[in-house]
Amino acid sequence: MSESKVEATDHGMVAEFTTVDSLLAACRRVRDAGYIKTDAFTPFPVHGIDKALGIKPTILPWICLVAGITGTMTALVMQIWMNSIDYQYIISGKPFLSLPAFIPVAFELTILFAAFGAFFGMWALNGLPKFSNPVFTDPRFDRATDDRFFLYIDSSDERYDEEGVRALLGETGSDYINKVVEDESPKQVPKFIYSVWALSVAASIIPLLCVLTMRVTNSSKPRFHIFPDMDFSPARDAQQTTSLFGDNRAMRPDVPGTVARGQLSGSMEALTGIDFDALTAVDPGAAAQLVAAYQDEAAGTTTPPAEPVDDTPWLDHIPVTVDEALLARGKQQFGIYCSVCHGMSGLGNGLVNQRATEKQFDTWVPPSNLHDTALYSETYPDGKLFSTITNGVRKMAGYASQIEVQDRWAIVAYVRALQLSQNAPLDVVPAEKQAEVKAAVEAAKENLKRQEEAAAKAAAEREKEQN
Amino acid sequence: MSEHAATKLKPADDPAYKLPACLGKFQLPLLGGGLALLLVGLFLAFSVQSNEDVSMPRFGFSAYLTAYLYTLSICLGCLFFVLIQHLVRAGWSVVVRRIAELMMIMIWPMAVLFLPILFAAFQENALFAWTNPDYIAEFVPERAWENKKLFLNPTFFAIRAVVYFTIWCSLSLYFWRGSVLQDETGERAATDRMQLWSGPAVMLFALSVSFAAFDWGMSLAPMWFSTMFGVYFFAGSILAAHCFICVSAFLLQRCGAAKDEITVEHYHDLGKYMFGFIVFWTYIGFSQYLLIWYGAIPEEAEWFYTRQLGSFAGISIALVLLHWLLPFFGTMARTVRRMPAVMALWAVYILIMHFVDLFWVVMPEARVGHHAHVGGALGVIACVLCAVGLLGLVLGLVLRMAASSHVVAVRDPRLRESIAFENF
Repeated sequence: MSESKVEATDHGMVAEFTTVDSLLAACRRVRDAGYIKTDAFTPFPVHGIDKALGIKPTILPWICLVAGITGTMTALVMQIWMNSIDYQYIISGKPFLSLPAFIPVAFELTILFAAFGAFFGMWALNGLPKFSNPVFTDPRFDRATDDRFFLYIDSSDERYDEEGVRALLGETGSDYINKVVEDESPKQVPKFIYSVWALSVAASIIPLLCVLTMRVTNSSKPRFHIFPDMDFSPARDAQQTTSLFGDNRAMRPDVPGTVARGQLSGSMEALTGIDFDALTAVDPGAAAQLVAAYQDEAAGTTTPPAEPVDDTPWLDHIPVTVDEALLARGKQQFGIYCSVCHGMSGLGNGLVNQRATEKQFDTWVPPSNLHDTALYSETYPDGKLFSTITNGVRKMAGYASQIEVQDRWAIVAYVRALQLSQNAPLDVVPAEKQAEVKAAVEAAKENLKRQEEAAAKAAAEREKEQN
Repeated sequence: MSEHAATKLKPADDPAYKLPACLGKFQLPLLGGGLALLLVGLFLAFSVQSNEDVSMPRFGFSAYLTAYLYTLSICLGCLFFVLIQHLVRAGWSVVVRRIAELMMIMIWPMAVLFLPILFAAFQENALFAWTNPDYIAEFVPERAWENKKLFLNPTFFAIRAVVYFTIWCSLSLYFWRGSVLQDETGERAATDRMQLWSGPAVMLFALSVSFAAFDWGMSLAPMWFSTMFGVYFFAGSILAAHCFICVSAFLLQRCGAAKDEITVEHYHDLGKYMFGFIVFWTYIGFSQYLLIWYGAIPEEAEWFYTRQLGSFAGISIALVLLHWLLPFFGTMARTVRRMPAVMALWAVYILIMHFVDLFWVVMPEARVGHHAHVGGALGVIACVLCAVGLLGLVLGLVLRMAASSHVVAVRDPRLRESIAFENF
């Protein structure tokens, strides 16, 4: 609405033609006369009209190409980031970055982006959306969709002057030449459009409101299942039955002859915690039997070896490299598997033990205090400790099936570190860390004292209340 | 629209519709040279096979099969081109349809040239591994073979081949005669009849080509199967057919025939189809690969695994880059498609890549054991000579047929429309 109403609202000149040939001839004339801002309107596509009007080839294909390549790149970068970097997840045993799996999405996004590029690029190039065009004001222009052909010269063209254009179009043999003026019809948006718009917005909120309502209210009706096969997975759990296999077991036994990952890794010493050279020297039969037993176990044919006799030559060292990483791993694994009974510090006061003691279960055998000197490496070699973790002792079950060999040794190393930590003099701590340790100890003592005081106070208050 | 009225048709006996002499003179050299090259190629191929160092007992006939499938795929592609133009009542393609028809009718000599392959099917281990009991015993599980042998046996193989050629020969003859007789009579009803029959013809074509591809391409690896293989072969064929039409039209015009009839618009359209079918071939090839790669079932994956080893690994990568990526971007631009000489060059290039494609399909199966190889430089040369020779032989026959008829369907009712055809 930048045009002032006082100014002449001359938008250009339109001429009507009755045949394609006369239109094309007129187009050529107008083009040759040097007019650039022209347009033709026809009821059907006309071959060669671009050339006749001197319209340059569109850059739309380039927009389309760039959009398409953007789509390819977006898809590839997105999938590589999601699947190969940010959230690595093994799918069908393929590498995290497997190009063939990414191609279908890349293909689709290429098409999608290219189509968007073509569609919206066309809008942009044509100045769409445009709800009205001044040529619509011409009383005869409606026939452009029926049986007439129109040629239009815009008044913003450099060469435009009213008389000249009228004369030029007259020469082309057009019977009807008319000035295109501003559309005088009201430009206000009709009121009912606002109502429709408001109603649509309101209606579009309803589904969201329904979802939100359901999220915050309770209902006694069973929930609605959108994806029943996802809510009730047909996959079987362990110990369940299935008609799929002859033995009706959902849980499949190992295939004979297969070796699971981590199985049979490392030497026999690392696997059993027994000094094999020494054992072979004293009892070659037992050594051979042990080897055979482990090989059979790998083949899935017999049970694991029986508990070795107590004169076993246990390893007196840890056969894997002990470093900070191993100790950290040992601490983590100890925390997961051991601490529930033995306690985080190994004092035998884990949560399970606390509860069992409280409830006075008569079958409960209290777990060992790992700081018992009988369990120190002098009397309880590393190999034996390993064997205990592996095969269990008394009420404690063996952990061979749950903890990997390497991790069992890591726990052994961590238990040794725990034992050392309880009785270590300050001077084994490096000089630069001594102050830190002292401060930590002071803080811990202080903390303990406070806790005791608080407990005493609470007890006193309770007593008071009871009285 | 307006140009339709303006287009003047030349009389049907105008020299512009005849095979130009500068092409016609190649007839005998092509026939003789083609035959000679084919024989030399076969000799070399069989000498590679008899070389003690390489264990490729099926190399000789495989080289012939590669050449044969290469030539046949262009003929079949042209047959399909003709069928589909009639089916959709295409107007634009009338000026180039005769080129396709000339190649389509070559299915008749191709039926004769199939005899060596039929012969090989009855020889133990000459071409198809399934003719070799030792191979079957070693590589095909007994259970699978019990079922497969019902299909993969020489007798049934021969019966099927007869069925395929009966279909193709009848179709090509029907559409050839319809078009050539119309040159004389100008009968409009001939076009209507061909349109009517093109529907059932396309269905017969689709089934027969699919099964022929299973028989002659897929069964080379008896344990392997891919339901997409027929489409894959077809995709290459139709691509090659458009390239063949494009380059033939260009040569005809260079020699002065159909100079005013075939315009840049027709190259533009052929270029669009070439571009489209490059993508189609890639789409089908990749889909076939993706499913097998994802499933990773040994009996399926083995076919691609073989092609990831040794020199075939390079060819596999080259197919992706040179059969798809390069011509994809090369033929993408409208400007390029409107340059007949450039499109003709791309057409030749794609025809060469189409040979590489079929070489990659057939030749790895000439081996024994797991490691396929191309048979050294001599093996490659032998295969190329066979293909060039066989194609040359057939092109010689094409020229012979062209000399006795026209190179444009001169009295087709849509000829005027076709000449005036314009892209938007």
